[in-house]
Amino acid sequence: MELQNEITVSVRINGTQFTAAAAPEESLLEFLRTRAMVMDVKCGCNKGDCGTCTLILDGQPVKSCLVLVAQANSKEVWTVKGMALDPLMQALQESFATHGAIQCGFCTPGMLVTARSLLADCPQPDRAAIKEALSGNLCRCTGYKKIVDAVAAVAACQASARVQGGRCRVWKQQ
Amino acid sequence: MSSFAYAVPGTKDEALALLNELGSGARIVAGCTNVLPDIRAKKIAACTLVDISKLAELKGIDVRGDRVIIGSLTTINELLHSDLVASHGQVLWQVGRRFADPLTRNRATIGGNLANASPAGDGVVPLLALEAKVIVASLAAEREIPVAEFLTGPGRSALQPNELIVGVSFTKTTAMRSVFIKFGMRKSMAISLASIGLMVGLDGDRVEQVRIALGALAPTAIRARQTEDYLTGKPLAPEVVTRAQEIIRTEAKPISDVRASREYRVHLAGVLLKRALEAALA
Ligand SMILES: Cc1cc2nc3c(=O)[nH]c(=O)nc-3n(C[C@H](O)[C@H](O)[C@H](O)COP(=O)(O)OP(=O)(O)OC[C@H]3O[C@@H](n4cnc5c(N)ncnc54)[C@H](O)[C@@H]3O)c2cc1C
Ligand code: FES
Ligand code: FES
Repeated sequence: MELQNEITVSVRINGTQFTAAAAPEESLLEFLRTRAMVMDVKCGCNKGDCGTCTLILDGQPVKSCLVLVAQANSKEVWTVKGMALDPLMQALQESFATHGAIQCGFCTPGMLVTARSLLADCPQPDRAAIKEALSGNLCRCTGYKKIVDAVAAVAACQASARVQGGRCRVWKQQ
Repeated sequence: MSSFAYAVPGTKDEALALLNELGSGARIVAGCTNVLPDIRAKKIAACTLVDISKLAELKGIDVRGDRVIIGSLTTINELLHSDLVASHGQVLWQVGRRFADPLTRNRATIGGNLANASPAGDGVVPLLALEAKVIVASLAAEREIPVAEFLTGPGRSALQPNELIVGVSFTKTTAMRSVFIKFGMRKSMAISLASIGLMVGLDGDRVEQVRIALGALAPTAIRARQTEDYLTGKPLAPEVVTRAQEIIRTEAKPISDVRASREYRVHLAGVLLKRALEAALA
């Protein structure tokens, strides 16, 4: 079997294929920020503790500093930027802004990605479920209450939109 | 050039041949939730990362006869969403929601938790209570090791450099009530200061059979055998529970570290036992 000291990795990032050389021990986070120049995934701790590096891999939210980039080869990742046109993401972004759920903003990309993934899977979570879902994403500024408020407001809006004929359409991965 | 190398075997046998060849120069990687932080902290240096994450033979949850077999690559999130685990190995399922956080649970595997052999590892505690066996393969043979014998010390296990964990298996258990309690500094993303996995068969309030596993209270996760023996056959009256708490405090052999002192952990052993028994009765 071939042992490689340098690997070539090809990842579909926000719908666009990107290929580059990488080190065997490189994380997906490092690859995105230093090779693909995808800067909306933040590096807070680089060891799995903060959740600022959250993105969608294989349809699931994960901390990209805990993923070996080699393991993301031939896979698809979505970061907050790639969801800019998604109505659910837009509703969350607006809600974060109006609820004051952003202060320094460093945790926000990860929070948004996790929150969107929750609402796509479970459109009407209660506050406990929202807190549980966001429990891997740390925020040093807001004290979390406003973040939970912001997500709960979108959940409530989604519920009423469904009653009115489904205006909040759920974004689908291509 | 990197001091690390990478290899991605396509079959279990390919992986085993590689482990055989590289010996201690190989490092298996699964979910990487331990390995990547360890590489960053320079606890892991110059080695070949053998990526087993593609091996279909290590995936899936099955029932064979009266045994439940869980592939080593099964993630904690998959355990949490498995009806088989919820109904036949409830205590393992209960751990899911207290393990790390939802994002980490999407990556962390049960095999990685076993191989990591942390005294505070949460996945191993329910497996001890379930009297699970670790299925381990090398090129030459496959063997089954009871979890209690698999864990040999903090960060140490019976796994040889040429072996990998294929999965774990345990006998279906539906008749007993299960409780898992993790005591950490916060609800999520916390390392256990102490944890308990309890399985108990009750006739009214009388204990017919009981299994008690403790985490972070000794160099490895342990069974509290003396407490189990004492409780068997007795009604769960207040004085019985008090005596059982005294016994379990003598069975716990924790260390002091940055998170808690030895004395505090010993105290916790008694508290968690009482809470677990109360929860089982409720
Ligand atoms: C933020 C965070 C929170 C965490 N919270 C918890 C927690 O609450 N409870 C807890 O117990 N742990 C926790 N952990 C630790 C870790 O997530 C678990 O130990 C996890 O189960 C490891 O699995 P993995 O697949 O990621 O292992 P990896 O990191 O891939 O591997 C871990 C070790 O096991 C070996 N290995 C992996 N698979 C196999 C196999 N099939 N055969 C042989 N060897 C193998 C590797 O060589 C390595 O030595 C946490 C980690 C982080 C980063
Ligand atoms: S940078 Fe990934 S969890 Fe902190
Ligand atoms: S807004 Fe500053 S970390 Fe959350």
